[in-house]
Amino acid sequence: MGQAGRAIDDRYWRLAFVAITAVSLGACSSQQSALHPAGEQARDVADLFWFMTISGALVWCIVMGTAIYAVLGKKRPRSERFADRFVLIGGVVFPTVGLAALLVYGLSMLPSWTETEAPDLRIHVVAEQFWWRMAYEGADGVRIDTANELHLPLNATAEFVLTSTDVIHSFWIPSLGGKMDAIPGRTNVLRLTSSKAGVYRGVCAEFCGPSHALMAFPVVVHEADDFASWLEQQRRPAAASTGAGAEAFRAAGCGACHTVRGVSEAGSVGPDLTHFGSRRTLGAGTLPLTAAHLADWLVAPEHIKPGVRMPSFATLPDAERDAIVQFLLELK
Amino acid sequence: MSPQRAHNEVERETGHGTDLWRVIAAPIIWALHFLFCYVFVAVYCEKAGRTADLFEARLWVMGATALALGAIFWLTLRIWRVRARSVTDDDFEFEHNTPEERHRFLSHAALMLCVLSAVAVLYIVIPALYLSTCR
Repeated sequence: MGQAGRAIDDRYWRLAFVAITAVSLGACSSQQSALHPAGEQARDVADLFWFMTISGALVWCIVMGTAIYAVLGKKRPRSERFADRFVLIGGVVFPTVGLAALLVYGLSMLPSWTETEAPDLRIHVVAEQFWWRMAYEGADGVRIDTANELHLPLNATAEFVLTSTDVIHSFWIPSLGGKMDAIPGRTNVLRLTSSKAGVYRGVCAEFCGPSHALMAFPVVVHEADDFASWLEQQRRPAAASTGAGAEAFRAAGCGACHTVRGVSEAGSVGPDLTHFGSRRTLGAGTLPLTAAHLADWLVAPEHIKPGVRMPSFATLPDAERDAIVQFLLELK
Repeated sequence: MSPQRAHNEVERETGHGTDLWRVIAAPIIWALHFLFCYVFVAVYCEKAGRTADLFEARLWVMGATALALGAIFWLTLRIWRVRARSVTDDDFEFEHNTPEERHRFLSHAALMLCVLSAVAVLYIVIPALYLSTCR
């Protein structure tokens, strides 16, 4: 290989370096990172991860050190007694005790599940292909329906009552804690305690179909007062119930699937849109919520989110579609 | 034909007859213990409901564990006398196709399986110590 070959080699190495750095830097966002805990359960998970990683590295060093010593060390024969003990301790006792210790450390983090204390807040979550139906249980037992965006009070324990209507999904907010499956015909319960205010990202962590990767939701953790006012606002019916937009919404038949409390309350196939305009994302975490994205969504939802149940509204006159977009964005 | 003795080999019992079952006895105990733990607790929880306390089931699992470990220990004792002595195996030459060699070799393998099965039984039961309800 000549000078040219070496130059190409260099370029490949540089490219590989850039690619690997870029890929690892992609993990640096702390919005959806189990290594940047913002909740008590996530801190346990992160602690467990670091403990396991360091223990694993230690074992690796011991094994590799032994192997290197065996190859490069002194070449004098050992006694049979030494060999026996070496195999017995290094091959049987060390792995057995070491693995048992790691197992016990991991198991000690299992939640007790016996807690009889009521949570500060209970949220009913139904996972569907490919979005999240969420209902906050008020103090009076009345449920406040919303979808695809979670708000939580700071330093409070929320209990998620999880189920699914179609296939198995998994509810996971890496920044707040471990995941829990949502299984059709079964109710699972997960408790999470936030410890840091911020905006995080929750995802579906069990492959559920073509838009599995687009089944996410923003999680907003804010101070108790802010949360209370947010919940109060969610409790109210829609801001705008009359006008051209509301008329267009009704006329296009949107209400057959979507509820907008105060405008149309017949449909419950799709997400509740009562306060849609206050949400951060469109299509369950698929796109940031803007007028342009929403207009695109109404024309071709299937292009943005494969497998979505919502039909295209490309046949609507532009003026009507724009009116619907404006109406939806005003639903704060 | 009597096999050649290694320099430090001593005369010991070698076992007799077709006792291949000894080789697989310990893994079978491990398998039965495993099945018992999972099936019993599954049935227990199905009957008692999801919030039920696991204390009683845990006692049964402990009992099964004591029984399994006892049985494995008894097997180990019986094999101990027949095995080739050293782990790295310098006290016996496995170079002749004699009944004694076969017994010692199989007993050696069986002894290893006994240890493995005992460890496996313990690992199976450790999680049971940390679970408190059927949930």
